[in-house]
Amino acid sequence: MSELIPPFDWQQHVIAPWTEGFGANIWIVLMGFFVATACGLVGNYLMMRRMALVGDAISHSVLPGIAIAFLLSHSRGTVPMFIGALVAGMITTILIEVIHKKSRVKQDAAIGIAFTTLFAIGVILISLYASQVDLDQECVLYGEIAFVPFGEPVQLTDAFSAPVPVFRMGIVAVITLIFVVLFYKQLLVSSFDAGLATSLGINATFVHYALMCWLSITVVSAFESVGAILVIAMLILPGATAFLLSHRLPVIHALTVLMAALSSLLGLHLATWLDCSMAGAMVVMASVLFVLAWIFSPLDGLLVRWVRQRKLHLEPPEEIIVVPK
Amino acid sequence: MSRHHPPSTINCLRYVLIALGLLWFGLDGHAAKIGEMSDTTVLEQAGRFFTFQDPAVRYALLGSMLLGICCGVMGSFIVVRKLALVGDALSHAVLPGVALGFLWNTSKDPVAIFIGATIAGLIGTAAVGAIKHTTKLKEDAALGLVLAAFFSVGICMVTMIQRLPTGNKSGVDKFLFGQAAALGANDVKLMAIITVVTLLVIGLFYKQFLVTSFDAGFARVTGVPVQVMHYTLMLMLAFAVVIALQAVGVVLVSAMLITPAAAAYLLTDRLHRMLILAAIFGMASGAAGAFMSFLGPSLPTGPFMVLGGSAVFGAAFLFAPQHGVIMRWWRRRSRSLRVQRENTLKSIYHVLEARDFKPEGVTAKELAEKRRETLEDILGQLRELRRHDLATLQDDEQTVFLTPDGWQRACAIVRNHRLWELYLTNAAQVAADHVHEDAEKIEHVLGEDVVRQLEKRLNYATHDPHGKLIPGEADMLRGSAPSERITDAVGYGKRT
Amino acid sequence: MSANISTTTSGEAAPLEIHDLTVAYQKKPVLWGVDVTVPKGNLVGIVGPNGAGKSTLIKAAMGLLPVSSGWVKVFGTPLKENFRRVGYVPQRESVDWDFPVNVMDLVLMGRYGHLGVFQRPTKRDREIAKECLDKVKMLPYANRQIANLSGGQQQRVFLARALAQEADLYFMDEPFAGVDAATEAAIIELLHELKSKGKTLLVVHHDLPTARNYFDMLLLLNMRVVAFGPTEEVFTYELLQKTYGGRLTILSEVAEAVRTKT
Repeated sequence: MSELIPPFDWQQHVIAPWTEGFGANIWIVLMGFFVATACGLVGNYLMMRRMALVGDAISHSVLPGIAIAFLLSHSRGTVPMFIGALVAGMITTILIEVIHKKSRVKQDAAIGIAFTTLFAIGVILISLYASQVDLDQECVLYGEIAFVPFGEPVQLTDAFSAPVPVFRMGIVAVITLIFVVLFYKQLLVSSFDAGLATSLGINATFVHYALMCWLSITVVSAFESVGAILVIAMLILPGATAFLLSHRLPVIHALTVLMAALSSLLGLHLATWLDCSMAGAMVVMASVLFVLAWIFSPLDGLLVRWVRQRKLHLEPPEEIIVVPK
Repeated sequence: MSRHHPPSTINCLRYVLIALGLLWFGLDGHAAKIGEMSDTTVLEQAGRFFTFQDPAVRYALLGSMLLGICCGVMGSFIVVRKLALVGDALSHAVLPGVALGFLWNTSKDPVAIFIGATIAGLIGTAAVGAIKHTTKLKEDAALGLVLAAFFSVGICMVTMIQRLPTGNKSGVDKFLFGQAAALGANDVKLMAIITVVTLLVIGLFYKQFLVTSFDAGFARVTGVPVQVMHYTLMLMLAFAVVIALQAVGVVLVSAMLITPAAAAYLLTDRLHRMLILAAIFGMASGAAGAFMSFLGPSLPTGPFMVLGGSAVFGAAFLFAPQHGVIMRWWRRRSRSLRVQRENTLKSIYHVLEARDFKPEGVTAKELAEKRRETLEDILGQLRELRRHDLATLQDDEQTVFLTPDGWQRACAIVRNHRLWELYLTNAAQVAADHVHEDAEKIEHVLGEDVVRQLEKRLNYATHDPHGKLIPGEADMLRGSAPSERITDAVGYGKRT
Repeated sequence: MSANISTTTSGEAAPLEIHDLTVAYQKKPVLWGVDVTVPKGNLVGIVGPNGAGKSTLIKAAMGLLPVSSGWVKVFGTPLKENFRRVGYVPQRESVDWDFPVNVMDLVLMGRYGHLGVFQRPTKRDREIAKECLDKVKMLPYANRQIANLSGGQQQRVFLARALAQEADLYFMDEPFAGVDAATEAAIIELLHELKSKGKTLLVVHHDLPTARNYFDMLLLLNMRVVAFGPTEEVFTYELLQKTYGGRLTILSEVAEAVRTKT
């Protein structure tokens, strides 16, 4: 065990990443932050719609889309990848709908069948054409965020350049943020009550598919560097933590972004310390934040509940008049 | 055994699957770069597989089939209890346990890994329940976050293990996507024991599992310890997941639980048959996956098994006799065709009736006017009648004569319509001008026994609310015009 | 404890005795201090507005919900020791009707309480199940999948399952909800038949006008027991008004119901 967990060293694991490895680490943290922000904001709406696991499904099933896009275009260009992911995402959404509407198989099983099938196809394609696709099986799961800083750079200005994945993810995150601000009420109403949305002239079906499309885009831009697991986790964890800490959607969104930043930053340090997968470490930190919120949330945390439980004595209902028998 | 799907069919299906797989590889062999393999070695590998001389092949195949049985049976329960995605969360949650079990003595000791994984899986399921009960998060979010949290802890541990001096040889990464070829004698022994235990427990407590799954409240009232049954089920589910891990991989285990069971769910209406079918499907997909992954050195087993299961599900989804999409479509289509035929017959009857059943053929033009449809449509419908031997066409297909069969059917449909109208106006007090629409629909579905009851209830009335005669049995059989008088009128509608 | 066991004239303990039962979800009480002793051989209707805790009462009485305080005895002992004497008809919506069982399987579940842990249903159990199906006129449907039944037929099958339990005390949760008139009449006839055999029945009922004709005794419930007694004593405007509070639509219905009584 001792060789597995190295002793914690403040200088080496907390200070050094910012003094010695700043140039690389800043991109890693930024990448993690962008992924977590974009996924977290989309994930909030998925959770409100009770579709968190559809998000899980789509993040798995974009894989064959990406693989086929690679094979057909012989390039790792952004456009074919986005198209591949969009198509795969749509196929998943439709497949789930079809299986669940056209047979008596329930929605949960339909999700399970659809995404595992597509993911299996993706993994097989990757293992068959490993040399062409330039992705390996493990990478699909937990990515190689540590390689992000060494990617091909985009020259933004003469003095400033950013690695392509970070740049791309940053744009996706910013666009997500803009969408969430601009279409706040449409998204809220259609997530809360599709019937009401329709009566207000908002096309709920369109919003649904638009959300799924955007989810696919977000997933695919994150996929290559951080893998499926970080995407799934970030769709749910920062948002779930925020849900425990507030009842109001704007605050929840803000907290989601905060959690995204915290888990990305803490994840880097954890991974430096334990020398393990960085994407994995970021999720572990996000989970730790969730557990902390679960226990200590002032709204409804376990601690508050426990205290309330101890003080609990039932008040008789007032308005009822009891008639003696 | 199921009457829908005798085992021979399933075996056939399996061979078809394998053959398809072979074919695909054969075709692909030239273009694909599967390592350094050429198509001849693919065939050699296939040959090696089917001779079963290599112990590795025997273990892989046996193990895959055992896990298929186990997952199929346990999967059936989670599918009918709508817990399918609990299976998914559980299967991801075992990963840290696998890593811990591996660390126990830094070797791939199946028992240590088995225990570690089972415990981790159970903690994961318990965490889902705890989050659901103590926060306002819904079940889907709880499942998703437990899945992600546990899995990421597992990933961190796996990457840490790989960094160990012994780590790279450990093969702990094989747990992610599965490699049936890595199964050893000890693994298969453990799998066999677990499968036997699973089948034994399910067999012994079948009725308790059945009633708990269907109606937990009722089960408790009849004295079944529902909580105990639930936890036993979760424990066995964890067992099934864990023995499947090495061959299928963490990521795709849930498919082995859900897909064969869902396919079986579409094929039968009894739980015990569903269990048997799901076990067979699971076994078949397991065997298919083991075979396919054996063909190439770096091919993962899990995804192939999953595709095998998906193929079975796809076939069931489309062709299941009761619930299949195609069969349902076919039934709907043949029903609507029948309704159309019956409506045409009815129109012919109406035309005949309007001219007092003069024994002449009805022309297509008359019908077109009556039904306000184009001549072409009418001709199409008439040919349809001819194809079913309900009518003959003469004068260059312009005149139609009903056969005795056709006459009977026409009479029956008009009778149904008018009886129903009469019933609605008499018994249900519906106004006479409101009954036609309803009768238009009901006339096609009234069975003979219902008709007998209606006739009796209506005192064998002869006229409908609009004053028209209701054709009776005698008219139908004799091919005569409906009447109160019994005449031996000849051959209305018969060929002249 | 024995002092608490109230006895009927025959000397046997009352079929159902509920003492100071309080049930709460989170912090909100749903049932408060319910005290009821149901005498043997009665058909009891439990009536009250939506959210009055009618279903909660029978579920808590059968031990399906955790109670905050109070106790329930069935024939003088806790239910756990006496579950063979209790039959239950849950709400129709509480189960998944796509579940892969047929009508016969479902009715046989009623026999499970009488079987040993490892024992399978015997030929005799099948005979009993068939008789029960016949009583609700569903025998021709014995091999049907339960999804292919109408609402009324599903309710009849549920009833048959309860009959197969051969219990002495029955709890029924809205057995008349969403059934056709013919089924409703058949069910009420069956309930009266059971009563005449000395069984005790507690039926959650939401339709006030029919309640007066259907039941011997009424339990008016709105979180507390407003009144419990023979129908003709309890079915009065004042008591019903107290049960239903200020709900006007119901009140007019009550007024109507009481008027037709005289």
